[in-house]
Amino acid sequence: MRGLHSQEVALARTSGVRPRIGGVALVGWVILRASGVARADHGMMMSGTDHATSEITAGLAVEAAGYSNALYVGTYQGVTPSLGWMYGRFGTTAAISLYHVDENGRSVRGLGDAMLGAHAIVVATDSLEVGAGLHLMLPTGSEPDNLGMGHAMAIPSAWLAWRARPLTVTASAGYGRALVALGGTQHVHGAGPLVDPMNLQELTWSAGAEVDVGHGVQLGARTSGAAPLGAGQLRAICGGRVAWATPRVTTGFELSAGVAGDPFTVRGVVETTLRF
Amino acid sequence: MRLALLTILVTACAACTNTALPAPTQAVCPSPDPGTLTWDSFGQKFMTDYCTACHDSSLPHAQRNGAPLYHDYNTLIGVLETPDHIDQYAGSGPAAHNTRMPPAQCPTDKGGPLNRACPTPSDAERTDLAVWLACERNRTH
Repeated sequence: MRGLHSQEVALARTSGVRPRIGGVALVGWVILRASGVARADHGMMMSGTDHATSEITAGLAVEAAGYSNALYVGTYQGVTPSLGWMYGRFGTTAAISLYHVDENGRSVRGLGDAMLGAHAIVVATDSLEVGAGLHLMLPTGSEPDNLGMGHAMAIPSAWLAWRARPLTVTASAGYGRALVALGGTQHVHGAGPLVDPMNLQELTWSAGAEVDVGHGVQLGARTSGAAPLGAGQLRAICGGRVAWATPRVTTGFELSAGVAGDPFTVRGVVETTLRF
Repeated sequence: MRLALLTILVTACAACTNTALPAPTQAVCPSPDPGTLTWDSFGQKFMTDYCTACHDSSLPHAQRNGAPLYHDYNTLIGVLETPDHIDQYAGSGPAAHNTRMPPAQCPTDKGGPLNRACPTPSDAERTDLAVWLACERNRTH
């Protein structure tokens, strides 16, 4: 049975990728993909997750975006390798991005903030899945160069997914918080960094739907964002995605637009995931 | 055990970026204001020497070498738009010694490529900067 949906499991295991390529507001979406929602696309909601099987995935995502906010105009490109490990209902992920950013005529290259994540599936039925996770972002990116937050972030979140074949609807909510004193002077230029802006403290959300159109192809749309708690900036994005899956490899393309908060103007992401 | 390892990792990476975060210097203007540090006597030269190669209102975004838009210090009015930022990036005072600005590389010509080491203000100049900003905030313009 696992082989029937392995391609989607592979996609699911890319949970480490999307936090960096899609903004931390998308952590919920990440976990959704990671936890087994993708499996639901093949009519196999998490009935198999009780079995203590172990899987490893490796992913690579490439992104390009243009942005124009109150202070900076430019583009950036990123490459994000990721690793994931799933054992039964529990999973962990790790990812880090390498960026090139053009910001007001200055060209910068460097690492972004690293991401570590863990999640657990709490409820799993044929049509419904509920889970929770915790992601940590570590300040490996240069804050002066707008590549990183300059401090660690913790993002606990919860998600649910409902499946009515061929449709899968997902939603998530989370809370992101800087692991520093909130009264400090970080982010004097507002939410940062350019490549993946977050507020010091914020509520995150995402919602989306995907349709299995057959032959391993899925079409989807989603929206996500974050609302600051205290000072900060509301942000939201929306986008569409198409993915094609084989038993061992899943490849997807996503095109998104920033609709609030100027996270970017337009962004395209191509990602491929291998499952072992 | 895993939690302990994670805690260690987070703690270790808390110092991954070795650049100090911007901090207010908490410099204060003497009372009464002696009027010795002014735009004409200090600020304009400081900005010209260390800032306006990039922070100049005449520069379009593509020639600013990373300087944020609307952070233009070729006029006193421009400085007064973001005095806190200047203090937190280049000022020195009782609470902080900020050296983020100027950066390592600067253009020889305004708006040109980053092709030389930036001139660096002395500690005394940074201290004067913070005090001058504190005084300018209180002055009528």
